[in-house]
Amino acid sequence: MILKILSDWFGRTNKVERLWLLAKIEFKLRYYENKLGLFWALLKPLLDIFIYYVVFQIVIRQNIPAFASYLFIGLILWNFFVESTTGTIQILNTKKYLYEYSNMNKMEIYISTLLSNAIGFFFNFIMFLIFYTFLEKESTGLSLYNFWMLAVFLNLFILSLGMSLILSTLYIIAKDISQIWIVITSFLFFLSPIFFKLSTFKEALPSFDYGNPVAGIIINGRRVMMEHLDPDFQLMGFDYAYAIFLLLVGLIFLNRLGSKAAEKL
Amino acid sequence: MIMENGIAITAKNISKTFHISEDSHNTVKHRLFNLFNPPKRKDVPALKLTSLEIKKGECIGLIGRNGCGKTTLTKVLAGVYPTDTGYIKINGSTMLMNLGVGMSQELTARENIYVSGSVLGLKIKEMDKLFDAIVDFAEVRNFIDTKVKFFSSGMMARLAFSIAVNAGADIMFLDEIFSVGDMKFQEKAIRIFESSWIEGKTVVLVSHGMQVIKTYCSRTAFMKNGQIEFFGETDHAIDLYTADNQ
Repeated sequence: MILKILSDWFGRTNKVERLWLLAKIEFKLRYYENKLGLFWALLKPLLDIFIYYVVFQIVIRQNIPAFASYLFIGLILWNFFVESTTGTIQILNTKKYLYEYSNMNKMEIYISTLLSNAIGFFFNFIMFLIFYTFLEKESTGLSLYNFWMLAVFLNLFILSLGMSLILSTLYIIAKDISQIWIVITSFLFFLSPIFFKLSTFKEALPSFDYGNPVAGIIINGRRVMMEHLDPDFQLMGFDYAYAIFLLLVGLIFLNRLGSKAAEKL
Repeated sequence: MIMENGIAITAKNISKTFHISEDSHNTVKHRLFNLFNPPKRKDVPALKLTSLEIKKGECIGLIGRNGCGKTTLTKVLAGVYPTDTGYIKINGSTMLMNLGVGMSQELTARENIYVSGSVLGLKIKEMDKLFDAIVDFAEVRNFIDTKVKFFSSGMMARLAFSIAVNAGADIMFLDEIFSVGDMKFQEKAIRIFESSWIEGKTVVLVSHGMQVIKTYCSRTAFMKNGQIEFFGETDHAIDLYTADNQ
């Protein structure tokens, strides 16, 4: 019964196809425009990891076990968040051609762009899995707990979508929101346990893992991928609530401000 | 359920005023520094209180002198601009067409065709079938994998027209489309129009060419100073427009 309704719906509308088409084109635009192509998408996190590894493991001896993998999973989650927020502030401007001449739902523009980022995340995640299983000396291997990663990523996706909606609609009335957001993200970046030891982080900033929604997502990502633990459910519930709240605010903004995009931008 | 009573667009008491501020107060810095010094605003009432109804399958003409609000009205009716008052009910997908519509400069002609088709509600399979027709009609076969930013304006317009004609939304707003392309292409465009293309489609035709309006439109709206002065018989609307131009 439900299957029939679903297949009917898929048969009649082209929404899913359209989202996928837009996501694919967005992905291609991003990575195939330069000479390095998709290779760059894979190389970038490795270079970042190299830099942070030198600084935090060799210069400042933190002695975190499996530090390269620790960084790897933290950075790819963080990069998805940044690409989906900072990278989409001007989305209503760059994707104007999609809604300026038709009554297409703007929400689809956001979802397809985030889907395209998710494809990028997927490639990075595969790289992480290969790295962690075959190259990491202190690896504990894969386990069933890894499947919790789906819930962690969904959390990140909703959070990024909400933030993206808020920022890009504010951009219509305040163009310098992008500069302000860059400051906020660098604040969040240094105040999330991406390259610090979790215990140092918690000691110095008690309960800040609850203040910074990305921090909780990274912590849980590591628990399920590297520590063979269930996610911290309290933290996860809190982060989901955070993400859903921001998404609701984002939807209100899209309704109020976003509808004026065609005439204001 | 959508075509219950065959109405394509219902607009009730819609209006649109543009607020144009003289200084650019669109940064946080500006807003903060000028908290007690609000920008001088100029209100431009582009569209005054209007109601209208367009039936499915109708070809409506929209005429009036420059600056009378034709473009604003089409954008509001197409759902691109939100209305300030009242409400609009649109049944189906809409497409606004004037020169160089809805295409991304960064994409190739092929990608643009697929994206536009998809936005208009077609499936990839349906687009595959239409693809050759679109390319041939637009006469851009040799440039199909070229980014449209390298296209000449004529090529762009032809491609847009071709997508609109072949893929077509449920409700089409055509703004001066007969000025597209060279004479040969214009003839082709008119032939398409005269064939059965507009049958079953809802079309709002904006034009300064009275001959075009006279030939295709069953009803015509005449606009003046942001208001629909008359909406009905085409001949009468054209008379009013001609009188207004005296």
